[in-house]
Amino acid sequence: MSGPRIAAALLAATLNGPAAAQEGAFSAGSQAEEWSLVGEEKALFSARVVDILCEIAGDCPADCGAGARQLGLVRDADGALVAVLKNGQPLFNGAVDDLLPYCNAAVEVDGLLIGDDAANPAKFYQVQRIRRAGEAEWSKANRWTQAWAERNPEAATLPGPWFRKDPRVQALIAREGYLGLGLETDAAFIEYLFP
Amino acid sequence: MRRLLVTLAMLPSLAALPAAAAGERVRLTGEAIDTWCYFSGVMGGTDSVVGSAHHTCALWCAAGGIPVGLLADDGAVYMVLKWEGDASVTGGDAVLEVQSDRLVVDGVLHARDGVNYVIVDRVVENLGLVNLTHQDYDVVPPFAIEAPGK
Repeated sequence: MSGPRIAAALLAATLNGPAAAQEGAFSAGSQAEEWSLVGEEKALFSARVVDILCEIAGDCPADCGAGARQLGLVRDADGALVAVLKNGQPLFNGAVDDLLPYCNAAVEVDGLLIGDDAANPAKFYQVQRIRRAGEAEWSKANRWTQAWAERNPEAATLPGPWFRKDPRVQALIAREGYLGLGLETDAAFIEYLFP
Repeated sequence: MRRLLVTLAMLPSLAALPAAAAGERVRLTGEAIDTWCYFSGVMGGTDSVVGSAHHTCALWCAAGGIPVGLLADDGAVYMVLKWEGDASVTGGDAVLEVQSDRLVVDGVLHARDGVNYVIVDRVVENLGLVNLTHQDYDVVPPFAIEAPGK
């Protein structure tokens, strides 16, 4: 399946899901796209972009870790530290490349709060668009694939979506198989899956 | 006294700095997972987005910089903020290598606003991929494995 078709399939799967976005405390004014995720609430709020490790443990490099650390949002309204898991692309990628340009800056974000797990009583965030406080123009949170292409210029020229051609992922699958259980188990499973 | 006040006045505003906490030393046992698929339900229920069925997707998501978590046996997830021997937890080699593996780790736990965060300073043991979910779910998502010859 090609990259655009996979993305379309993922979006279709989520948009056809059983859950519709619920109204949440931060839903007013949000124009976030619904994904029909667990516990989904549209959420537009102002916040400060933080290096989570700095925020909770006081380990604070000047540049928020230059892309090597997970970033979060400290929400203005209640001071809550919101962990950001995802950007707006339906392509298996996170949001650090989208948040890093705003390290320690005041921003407004629009996206989805998700999650409803009894053992983990928190809401997590998918950022879909972001702008600096006071700015009019939004930026889409979709920088990751371009950043990947810049980090992997040779692979980026090959056909297909990034995750099919990422050299490190390819190497791990070549070594341990798609199931991670070794090539022998993988071969038997593929024979079962595609008789 | 006046010199002390002047010195204090020259320091950065303490109010502007994050309130750092010492954290709690812990030993955790659990599976390295992809937190987005686990919490969002985008690929299905939580039982289907762990282990061998979801291994390839977990590789994609870890390489994609989605936060890696450690799923303990009681269902608690510990979001990884640092990993022994690797400066990067946003797609770094070390977190990529351990996806779907059951691990015993030592580290420092912080909890805030309902989320557990862990700084892993030592992997005590890697028990490998022992959660054989493909026996129940095949692969999640179904396109994780391309048909041979494609």
